[in-house]
Amino acid sequence: MSSGTAEAGLRGGMRSAAWRISLWATLAFACGTMVVFIFLHRFVSTDIQRRSDAWLSGEVEVLSDVANRTPKNALYGRVVREIAELASREIPDKLRSSDGRNDSVFFLQTDADGSLALWVGAGDGTAELHAIQGSRAAPDTPFNLYVREGTIPFRVAGVRMGNGGSIYLGLSERDELRVLKSLRLRFLLLWLLIVLLGFAIVFYSTRRMLDDVREITEAASSIGESDLSQRVPASRRNDEVAQLAATLNHMLDRIESSVHQLHTITDSLAHDLRSPLTAIRAKLEISLSSEGRLREAEPIVSAIDELDRLGEILNRSLDVAEAKADALRLDRTAIDLDELVRAMIDLYGPCLAERGVRVGLSSAGPVEVWADAALLHRVVANLFDNELKHLPASCTVTVSLAAEGGWALLVLEDDGPGFASEISLDLFRSGVKGRDSAGHGLGLAFVEAVLGAHGGTVSAVNRPEGGARLSIRLPLAMEKSVRQSISQRVDSGATGGVEVVFDGDELG
Amino acid sequence: MHYHRHMHVLLVEDDLEIQTFLKRSLAEAGYQIDAAGDGKTAQLLAVEGKHDALIVDLGLPDQDGIGLILRLRQLGVRAPVLILSARRSVDDRVRGLEQGGDDYLTKPFALAELLARLRNLLKRTSPGNEPTRLRVLDLELDLLRREATRAGEMLSLTAQEFILLEYLCRNPGRVVTRSMILDKVWGMRIQPDTNVVDVHIYRLRGKVDMEGRTPLIRTLRGVGYVLRDR
Repeated sequence: MSSGTAEAGLRGGMRSAAWRISLWATLAFACGTMVVFIFLHRFVSTDIQRRSDAWLSGEVEVLSDVANRTPKNALYGRVVREIAELASREIPDKLRSSDGRNDSVFFLQTDADGSLALWVGAGDGTAELHAIQGSRAAPDTPFNLYVREGTIPFRVAGVRMGNGGSIYLGLSERDELRVLKSLRLRFLLLWLLIVLLGFAIVFYSTRRMLDDVREITEAASSIGESDLSQRVPASRRNDEVAQLAATLNHMLDRIESSVHQLHTITDSLAHDLRSPLTAIRAKLEISLSSEGRLREAEPIVSAIDELDRLGEILNRSLDVAEAKADALRLDRTAIDLDELVRAMIDLYGPCLAERGVRVGLSSAGPVEVWADAALLHRVVANLFDNELKHLPASCTVTVSLAAEGGWALLVLEDDGPGFASEISLDLFRSGVKGRDSAGHGLGLAFVEAVLGAHGGTVSAVNRPEGGARLSIRLPLAMEKSVRQSISQRVDSGATGGVEVVFDGDELG
Repeated sequence: MHYHRHMHVLLVEDDLEIQTFLKRSLAEAGYQIDAAGDGKTAQLLAVEGKHDALIVDLGLPDQDGIGLILRLRQLGVRAPVLILSARRSVDDRVRGLEQGGDDYLTKPFALAELLARLRNLLKRTSPGNEPTRLRVLDLELDLLRREATRAGEMLSLTAQEFILLEYLCRNPGRVVTRSMILDKVWGMRIQPDTNVVDVHIYRLRGKVDMEGRTPLIRTLRGVGYVLRDR
């Protein structure tokens, strides 16, 4: 596989429903789990805070009790400091800062005038004192204390003492934050893993399911084009997709049977009409070959001609009928339209020249289509027959053939009288023909029907500058169209059209 | 020239009118004919192995024509088959038979075409050396140099006209129909409701049958054309 197709496949995959479904499903799943986690996170962090607040309040009560009872002598500082340090050791799994000092807990006592009386902890405590005095927090409930910008806050509980001073106990929130941080980190990793895994599972399962659907689509679209005996693949599972396949197959059964019925009808109609035609023709040929009846030859000959025309009308009517029911049997091969049109011009050129009609061809080379050769020959012959029958002398027919954008474009333009206005609207209906036309009015209906069966179109318009324009479009043969688009990119516009003009003198 | 003088042909056709006509016409063309109206009789006659070719109609009363052909092949009947059909579609199995050297003709057909196809089938079983020159009376075609002369005088023909004349020269004294010409010269199985082929023949005749010479290309109206060989 080339990188180009791999890239195209990837782009196709990103546009596919499986991709969209898994993307949205994963997004919903990710958002949902994230919201759940945020709630859990909040619950855990408040719970941790509640526990540390309870500890702080309890300890600060004990400390104030000790401070109140201990006499204010030289030993007072040592006793309180001892108690405070004991308390700080109770902090489970406490962390020490990088320099090894215990800075996770501090104890601070102020005098009645607010000055620092006792300090246990890292540093000299002045910064903490300023921060406490600046925080104006209610003294009885624990509060967050931001000592310096950008550092970890302390949770502080305070209590007022009998002498008017206050005792504050601070606990660094570093531990709590660390726990929460590691919780977040672990969750994020797991979350990412689960989301990716979920995406993969959803993508895989929807892809598998949609692959079944795509297989059905591909099979169904190929059935219409080739033969109706094929069926879409039925899955072994008994799910909605299998039901879809079963329904489609059931529908195809009915279509096949009605198309088959139509074929039986047209076949037996053809058979029932052709057998007597053959017998009549045989009788006419016998009477023509009998000697000595030359005087009667002329009506017999014209009867044979009429019979052959009748046979062709029968063929075309049945072809049109089958094509309209989308049941025309096609035997497709690769056909070079350029070659076909040149052969047709070769065939019709002298006849047209005889009537004083010139033919010009402009074609840039081979244009390959995938079509039923016999039908396509009859279609193109029909277009030329049409010109031959309707163009007056000294007109010119210009045939141009081109391939553009996956289509083969064959255009016949003439400078004749154009289509009669009364028929131009329903030119392609069977039986519609101009007032002076000698045809049976099946020609263009046949052309349209056959082209339709090949996935092509035909349009007939009167040119503004006078004359008629008949253009037919047919899808290019597959690989050809790929080659064509590549070569067009390589030598864009390098090749011009080749003009070939036929008239009587050149051929004569 | 008349290598088919004693050729045996088995005709399998249920329509009595057509059967009678074909029997008579083929006999006139010098063939020995056995005729069968159904598959059973046909099988009995065919296994004798004396037939050089078979003409089989696909719509038989008792069985499918293709089934009959396939069974005859199994029974060791090697003679080539010309299939006649009034059906619309060319069955895939018919296409398979066509590739095996048999031929196919849709009803209604021109007798001349049936004879021509039958001749081609028989020619295939008795191959001769492919000639490089064709000669009909004083008309001579050099197939390698793509040149034609009439009584030693060079004819200036277009490539397409040469192919048309070559086709006529390969069937001297025999009728060729318009649809045979379209098929063999232009490779198209079409039925134009205009006189396109006639104009080509008319032009060719203008070059081949010059003033003062015996006309070689004859028109049989309603049937086709013949290149005179005597």
